[in-house]
Amino acid sequence: MTEILVVDDSKVMREMIVACLRVGEDFTFTHAASGLEAIEKLALKAFDLVVLDLNMPDIGGFEVIEFIRGQDKLQRLPVLVVTTRGDEGSRVRALAAGASQFMTKPFTPDAILANVQSMLRLDAAGFHE
Amino acid sequence: MGNAFDASEFLAGFLVEAEEHLSASTTNLLAVETSLRKGENNPRAVRELFRSLHTIKGLSAMVGIEPIVDVAHAMETVLRKADRAAGALSTNAFEALLAGLRAIGERVRALSTSAPVAPAPPQLLDALAALEITQDASPATVELVLDAGLSAKLSATEKAQLLQGAESGRRALRVDFVPSPARAAEGTTITSVRERIGAFAEIVKVVPLSIPASDTAPGGLAFALLVLTDATNEALAAAAATQPEHVQVLHTRRVDGADPLAEPEAAEEDVGEGRKRGIVRVEVARLDDALERLSALVITRFRLARAVDALAAQGVNVGELGEIVKGYGRQVRDLRGAIMRARMVPVAELLDRVPLIVRGLSRATKKPVRVVIDAGKAELDKAVADRVFPAIVHLIRNAVDHAIESPAERRRLGKPEEGLVRVTCFERSTNQLELGISDDGRGIDREAVAHRASRPVPADDAGLLDLITLPGLTTLDHATKTSGRGLGMDIVKRAVVELGGELSLGTTPGAGTTFTLCIPLTITIVDAFSFVCGEQTFVAPVAAIEEVVEVVPEALVRGPSRHTRFGEVRFMERRGEIVPLVNLASVFSLASREEPKALVVRRNGAALAFGIQRMVGQQEVVIRPLEDPLVKVTGVSGSTDLGDGRPTLVLDLVALSGALSQNRTEVPV
Repeated sequence: MTEILVVDDSKVMREMIVACLRVGEDFTFTHAASGLEAIEKLALKAFDLVVLDLNMPDIGGFEVIEFIRGQDKLQRLPVLVVTTRGDEGSRVRALAAGASQFMTKPFTPDAILANVQSMLRLDAAGFHE
Repeated sequence: MGNAFDASEFLAGFLVEAEEHLSASTTNLLAVETSLRKGENNPRAVRELFRSLHTIKGLSAMVGIEPIVDVAHAMETVLRKADRAAGALSTNAFEALLAGLRAIGERVRALSTSAPVAPAPPQLLDALAALEITQDASPATVELVLDAGLSAKLSATEKAQLLQGAESGRRALRVDFVPSPARAAEGTTITSVRERIGAFAEIVKVVPLSIPASDTAPGGLAFALLVLTDATNEALAAAAATQPEHVQVLHTRRVDGADPLAEPEAAEEDVGEGRKRGIVRVEVARLDDALERLSALVITRFRLARAVDALAAQGVNVGELGEIVKGYGRQVRDLRGAIMRARMVPVAELLDRVPLIVRGLSRATKKPVRVVIDAGKAELDKAVADRVFPAIVHLIRNAVDHAIESPAERRRLGKPEEGLVRVTCFERSTNQLELGISDDGRGIDREAVAHRASRPVPADDAGLLDLITLPGLTTLDHATKTSGRGLGMDIVKRAVVELGGELSLGTTPGAGTTFTLCIPLTITIVDAFSFVCGEQTFVAPVAAIEEVVEVVPEALVRGPSRHTRFGEVRFMERRGEIVPLVNLASVFSLASREEPKALVVRRNGAALAFGIQRMVGQQEVVIRPLEDPLVKVTGVSGSTDLGDGRPTLVLDLVALSGALSQNRTEVPV
């Protein structure tokens, strides 16, 4: 069982992400509608991967990433940042803050699924030290 | 590019959220206007507006409603500038933004009634693009007293908001909420706490803080809520499930001199600004050299990891050593990223020349054409940029020459007289860039193309693309106007494929065509020899090969006892030097072991010759890493496409010779 936390303030966007990822996989999904909710859930429960939007009402994705990488127990957690086109400048910032991968909306189901699977594989192989 | 997203499933959800964001945006925009009349800025409303439009843009992009993407993008650009100017907006900007919200609203409603969605109104886009936002430069003389950790998490706008609130007589307070599973089970979470406090206080910011884990704080987490309110400490504490004495008042103090609020924003902008300020021109070859040296570090890292594993196997406690190795691995990876980034150029800079090209074509063809470029802040490896730019120009030329109709024809079709060429660019993932070149012209007529190519009519756009990129098609097709697409598409396709990218096509007769180029952000290009060995083709960088020599079997000397798994090591004489000869096919366990030629490489001063079947040629190749560039197979530095569509392995013969001389019985392939 792979626990995935999907963080986006847009409900329909979360549903789209889950729809992309649920295909034939042993994934369970937890939704978080805000950065703060995501941080709370991460502090209280263990997840295998986070799909994270950068643009959120309370605290942005950067702060969530910084929080994650500031926690010893979350050092290795794979974080896939998903954001809207036009934000390419954020990419470097997100990766510098500690995001593992970066994708731009719109994306295809294949692309996000492949990304998530490869991140989980790398994680299993110990590459996200 | 994978299958298209089935947007219809999410349309209902999209409509609901788009309406929500539109109504929130209207409220926020009106709040901006109210502040404007009072001569004040409203940074919070501006930020909320920005966020809503950004969300609308992202959702519309996912469900493929480009006109809304366009309007939202133009509005977002204005609001981003306004946000950086601490929320300053002019009356003109207000009017244009209001028109933008109306335009989005109309299109959302069209979608909800399944009516066609009108394109983005060009006048509106122009009006939004023309807006100037000026920075409000009044220096602040008061600042908040906050501990450094908290202060660093607040933006200038948020600090200004707290100060403004405190100055206008409300109390600026901090209250901490500590989440736990027990509280979550009772329904007390940061979300519910925020709702409760939000009912009687303005929450300016919530900052997550790591605290030592304890029985009361099992998650090791606290949230500091910074609020403006007239409510009592008791009410606030109750809402945050804490004690009134834990509510802190945020004090302010006078400051002199420079504007302390400007500082964090400036730091945020450093990435872009710094590049403008201090540019150093560096030959790409020097960066490649740095990368080369880095790969030695990577090898050291693997050796280190192996040595640690060996220690662990002997029962030694390697905990800390293991951590150091991991940390070292991370640093090496970061360093690699840093070097790769140094090779990047902004795509916007690459596309700077496009409007000029379009203007020239527009004049030559007497067709008015507007060009829209949305390159964001994407960056691209210099080498990729140089190789892909001709393909972009080619597609643009085709669009203006052939796809866009004459003004008279467009008038007759009910299209705006001015044609539209759009170049967009965004990053698909960490190493993929998507470039789109679209026009609102006549589209490509499948049947006409099929007829000219004397082929069956393709079933879909992918089949059509295959047809128009046929090398022979261009010479057949002189009257290109009937097919809507012109010359040399095979050249475009080849350029993209050689980069390891993908070309795709979407076209609607009468409405327009979009070509999409998915290309890698970075590549490595080397001048390489191609050769055959064991009936397979390989390439190896020219720079690594000292000489290609003939092997004269009679002149070979057998080694004393150097039998290895990959055959026998023999020696040849070359200008007075004795050089070991290894059959390359044997190293890779290939069947045919002919070796009339040999490639001589030198490592640490010692020469080694690899016997091969025959030389094929010399050319520049694009090396694509096999997988993670740091997971190396010794002797193989990547793969390339020699133009036959099949992957060809790129050999690193120097590294291979190193591996062979280190351990002659174990071949790491």
